[in-house]
Amino acid sequence: MTTIADKPAADRELSAEQARRYATSADRRLKLFNRTCIGVLIAFALLWLVPLAWAVDTSLKPNGETTNPTWKIMEPTLASYRTLLDQGDIINWYAASIITSTLSALGTVVTASLAAFALSRMRFRYRWLVFWFVLIGIMIPNQVLIVPQFRELAAVNLLNTYWAVILPQIPTAIAVFIFKQFFDGLPKDLDEAARIDGAGFWRIYSRVVMPLARPAVSAVAIFTFVWSWNALLWPLLVLTNPKLMTIPVGLATVQGTYGVRYADTMASAILGAIPLVLVFLLFQRRIVEGIAGTGLKG
Amino acid sequence: MASTETTGTAGIARPERAAPTTTQPTLDDTRPPAHRTAMTVERDAGLPGHGRPAMLFLAPFVVLYVLFIIGPAIYGLVMSFFDTSLVKSGLGDFAGLANYAEAISSRDFWSSLWHTIWFTILTTPPLVIVSFFFALLAERARRARWFFRLAFFLPYVLPSAVVALIWIWLYTPVLGLFTRWAVKLGFTEPNWLGDPNLAMFSLALTTLWWTLGFNFVLYLAGLQDIPRDLYEASSIDGAGPWQQIWRITVPMLRRTTMLVVVLQVIASLKVFDQMYIMTQGGPNFATRSALQYIYDVGFTDFRTGYAAAASTLFFLVVLAVSAVWLVLARRQEPEL
Amino acid sequence: MNGPPNPSPHPRPALSRRSLLRASLLGAGAVAFGAAGAGCSEVGAGLANSELDPGTVSYWNLFGGGDGVRMQQMEDGYRKENPSINLDAVTLSWGNPYYTKLSLATLGDQPPNVAVSHLTRMKTLVQAGLLQELKPEDLARNGMSADKFNKRAWDAGLVDGKAYAIPLDTHPFVLFYNTKLCEAAGLLDSGGNLKKIEGPDAFADALQKVKQAGAQFGATHGINSDPASPWRFFQTMYSQLGGEVLADDGTRIVLDDAKAKQVLDYMRSLTVEKGLIPGAVDYQGAVALFASGAAGFHLNGEWEITTMQTAKTPFSMTLVPNIFGGTYAVQADSHTLVLPVQPDQDRAKLDRSLAFVKSMLDQSLTWAEGGHVPAWQPFATSEAYKKLTPQSNYAAAADAAVYDPPGWYSGSGSNFENVMGSSIGAVEAGLISSDDAIAQIHSKLSAFAKTAPPV
Repeated sequence: MTTIADKPAADRELSAEQARRYATSADRRLKLFNRTCIGVLIAFALLWLVPLAWAVDTSLKPNGETTNPTWKIMEPTLASYRTLLDQGDIINWYAASIITSTLSALGTVVTASLAAFALSRMRFRYRWLVFWFVLIGIMIPNQVLIVPQFRELAAVNLLNTYWAVILPQIPTAIAVFIFKQFFDGLPKDLDEAARIDGAGFWRIYSRVVMPLARPAVSAVAIFTFVWSWNALLWPLLVLTNPKLMTIPVGLATVQGTYGVRYADTMASAILGAIPLVLVFLLFQRRIVEGIAGTGLKG
Repeated sequence: MASTETTGTAGIARPERAAPTTTQPTLDDTRPPAHRTAMTVERDAGLPGHGRPAMLFLAPFVVLYVLFIIGPAIYGLVMSFFDTSLVKSGLGDFAGLANYAEAISSRDFWSSLWHTIWFTILTTPPLVIVSFFFALLAERARRARWFFRLAFFLPYVLPSAVVALIWIWLYTPVLGLFTRWAVKLGFTEPNWLGDPNLAMFSLALTTLWWTLGFNFVLYLAGLQDIPRDLYEASSIDGAGPWQQIWRITVPMLRRTTMLVVVLQVIASLKVFDQMYIMTQGGPNFATRSALQYIYDVGFTDFRTGYAAAASTLFFLVVLAVSAVWLVLARRQEPEL
Repeated sequence: MNGPPNPSPHPRPALSRRSLLRASLLGAGAVAFGAAGAGCSEVGAGLANSELDPGTVSYWNLFGGGDGVRMQQMEDGYRKENPSINLDAVTLSWGNPYYTKLSLATLGDQPPNVAVSHLTRMKTLVQAGLLQELKPEDLARNGMSADKFNKRAWDAGLVDGKAYAIPLDTHPFVLFYNTKLCEAAGLLDSGGNLKKIEGPDAFADALQKVKQAGAQFGATHGINSDPASPWRFFQTMYSQLGGEVLADDGTRIVLDDAKAKQVLDYMRSLTVEKGLIPGAVDYQGAVALFASGAAGFHLNGEWEITTMQTAKTPFSMTLVPNIFGGTYAVQADSHTLVLPVQPDQDRAKLDRSLAFVKSMLDQSLTWAEGGHVPAWQPFATSEAYKKLTPQSNYAAAADAAVYDPPGWYSGSGSNFENVMGSSIGAVEAGLISSDDAIAQIHSKLSAFAKTAPPV
C-alpha cells in the first residue's frame, strides 16, 4: 500500500476541492465510527446498570408482588424499607461501619505517614533494616493471618469490639510505601528551609510535608475507608453480636431470615449500598484520579 | 510531640537568621548545645543521630505492625505444628509435620485450591479484555464519559454482600430476572447456583460485573496518556484502526495491562465473599475456595492448628505467584 | 503521585463541592451519633467492651420460612407475658454458618442467653465446653424436669448423664400428599387418609399412579444445593434396613455397602430411571412444585406445613412409609434450647433464660401447629394436640426417630451431612453411580474419622 510519502511531489498536492471532500468524507466516516462505538458502549452500560436497577425496582414492590416479576411496579411502596429500619439492626450496622472504617482510615494515614516520613527524611542506623522489615509486610496477605489473629484477640478479650476490626487493619505496609514514594518526590530544600527556621521533625512533618501530601493522603484515606467498609471475612469472625456487626457482615449473616420476602432482601441490599454510593458520587474525581495515579506509577 | 520552636512558622527562611540559635533545643538535638553552627547541623543530618525521633515516628506503625502482622505470622507458623483447637487454650499436642502432611494429602485442600485457580482463570481474561474493549470505546466519547464511568464503576464500590444478595435474586430459580431472560431466549432454565458445572461460571459473571469498573478506569487513564501524534502519524502511513490498536495502543498499555493482570490474579486467589454468601462453597463443594476451606476447617471444625498449616501453604502459593510477577515485571521494565 | 499535585484542569466551583462534602460528613457523623444516642450501648459496647443491654434476654435461632413465622409468634407471646423484659431475637442462616457463629460468639464472650441447637450438634458444643450444664434443681425451680419430656429425645441429649439441652420438639422426615391427586389416583381410604404403603414397589407404584392422575411429578424433595434432604431420605430407608454409618463418636465408619447400594439404587430408580422424582430441583423448588399442585407427594421435614397451608394446597401428612420393612425407623432430629456459657452468669440471669425456655415450652401448641412433634409431654399427651391434624398423624415418629450418628463432625447441617447428602444427591441427580458415591463417602468420611477430634 503506497503511502502519501511515496507519491511524486506533484501528485501529493491534492486540489483544494479534493482535499476538502476527502476531509469531509473521512470526517463523516470517523463520526459514524465514533457514534457506533458510543452506541455499543451505551448498550453495555445500560446492561451494566440492570442488576442495581432491578434491585431497586424489586425493593419498591410489596413482598407478594415479587413472585410475579416484571419491571412495572403495580403498588409502589416503601414498606420494605420501613420494616428494615424499624425491626432490623441496620442502623447499628451503619454506625459500626462508619466508626470502624473512619478510625481505620485515620489510623492508617497517621501511622503510615509517620513511618514513611521517618524512612524518607531521617537518617538512622538500620534504616535499611526497618525498610525491609516493612517490605515483607506487603508480601503477607491479611487473609493468611486470620487464624492466629483471632486467637490473639480472643486471648485479650477484644472480640466483639470495634477495636478487633480496627486495630489489625491499621498497619498497612503498602500505605507506608505510597507515602514514602510521595515524600521522596518532595524537594529536600523545603525541609532545609524549615530546619534553618529552627523547626524540628514534627514541625516539618505536620506543617511542611503533610500539607503537600494531600493527594497521597486522600488516596490512602479513601482506599482504606472503602476497603475497610467492604471487608467481610475478618469482621465476620470477630463481630458475632448482630448489634455490633458492620454492614457487610450483617447482610451476610441475616441473609436467610427473609426467605421468600424478596422485596425486603433487596431493600436491605440497597440500604447497605447507599453509603458507599454516596461516597463514590461525592469523591468520584479523587477516586478515579487515585486509581489512575496508581496505574501510571505502575 | 510538642514543638519547642518559638520563632514563627516553619518553612519560610527568614533572611535575618543565618544560623539556628543555640538556645532552642529541637528534637534532633541530642548533644549539648555548645558550638552549634550550620556545619554541625549539616553533619547531624548525616549521622545516625536521628535515632530517637525516628523511633518515635516509627513507633505507632511498628508496634501495631508487630502486634497484628508479624506476631500473628510467627504465631501461625508455630501453631501449624500443633493440634491447636479453637475451643481449647494453649497450643495443644505437638503434631510435627502431621498437619502439613494432611493438607498435602487432602483432596478437599487441593480441590479448594483448584477451585480458586479455576476462578482466577475464569475471571482474569474477561476482566482484562472486556474492560480494555470498553475503555477503547469510551475513549471516543468525550462528554458522555462520566456516564460510562458511573455505570461501570458503580458496582465496584458496593460491598460484596450487597452484590451477592442482588445476584442471588437475579439467579433465583423461576423468579430471577436472568433465569427468565434465559428461558425467554429459549434455553432450559439454567440452575445458575445449583448446578455444579454452572455455579463457578455464575460466580465469575457476578465478579465480572462487580470489578470491571476498576480496570476500566485504569485503562481509560492509560489510553488518555497515549500521545495523539502516534495515531496521526500512523494513519498518515496508512494504518487502519485495527492496526493502530495492535501496534500502538496495546504495546503502550503494556504496563497498565500487567498491573491489571497481577492485581486481578492476586485478588482472585484471595476470593471468599462471593462463594460464602452465594453458594456456601457448594453445590457439593464445587465452588469452595482455598480461603473458605481454611475458614471451614479452622472455625467450623475448630481445628486451628490444621487451618494454620493450610494457611501457610496457601501463603506460599500466593507468594509464588507474586514472585513470578516480580520476575516478569523486572524483565519488562528493568528500572522497577 | 510523585511531587506536588498539578492544578485541576477543570476547576469546579470549589465552594459548592466543599459544602456538599461538609454536609455529608456531618450527615455521616449524625448517623453515627444518632445511632450512638439511640443505641448508646451498642457503640459503647463496640468501643469499650461494656455489657450490652443488661437485663435483656438475647435469643438466637435458625428458623426461616414457615418455622420462622411460628417462632416469631412465640417470641411475641413471651413479650406479651413479660413486658418488662426486652427480648432480643435474631435469626441466622441455617446450617454450618449458624453453629460457627454460635461458637465464635461464645468464644467472643458475647453469646446469646438462649440459643436453638439441633440435638445432634449439641453434643459437640458440650464437648467444646461451650454450653452450660442444666442442673435438675435449676430446672425444677423453673417448672421443668426430665420426666416431662419425650423420653427418646431427652435421653438422646444427655452427655455423661448430664443434661445440657431442653428438647422443644422432634422433627421427623414425613410424607406430604396432595389429597386431590391421591384421591384421583385411588390411593386414599374411606376416611380420606392415605392408605398404608409398604415396600419399595408399592411406593414407586403410588408415585406412578399420581403421575397418571395428572401430576407433573410423582414426588419431590430438595436435591440441588441441599445436602440435608437426600441424606434424610437415605437415612430413613437405610435405618429401616438396620444400617448404621458411624460408631465410636465418629472415629469408625461402619457403613454397610450392600445396604447403602440397595437404597441408592432405589433412589436413583425413582429419579433417573422412572422420572418419578425430578433430579435437579433445589429445596425451594421442590417445595414450590408440591405447593402448586404439580407433584402428588413431597418428602421433607414437617416444618413446611405452614407453607402448604398458606398456598392452600389440598394436602395432608403422614409417616414416611416403611419402604424397606424391618423395624420402623425414620430420620429425625430435635430442636433443643441450650444456654451457652456466659462470662458473667448469675442466678438472676440463669432464671431469666430458663423462664424464657419454659415460655417456649408452654407455647408448644403454636410450635406444633408448625408441624413439629412436641417433646413437652404435658402438651403432647393433651387432647388439644391429638385434635391437631395432620400434625398428630405422625406423632409416632418421635418414638422411632433415628438421629444422626454422634461425632464431632456430625449433626444437622454438619460436614458429615454435607458429605453424605452431596454424594447421595449426586446419585439422584444422575451425576454419579451408586458405587462411586459409596466410594466417595468412604474416602471423605475416613478423612474425618482419622483426624484427632478438636473437642
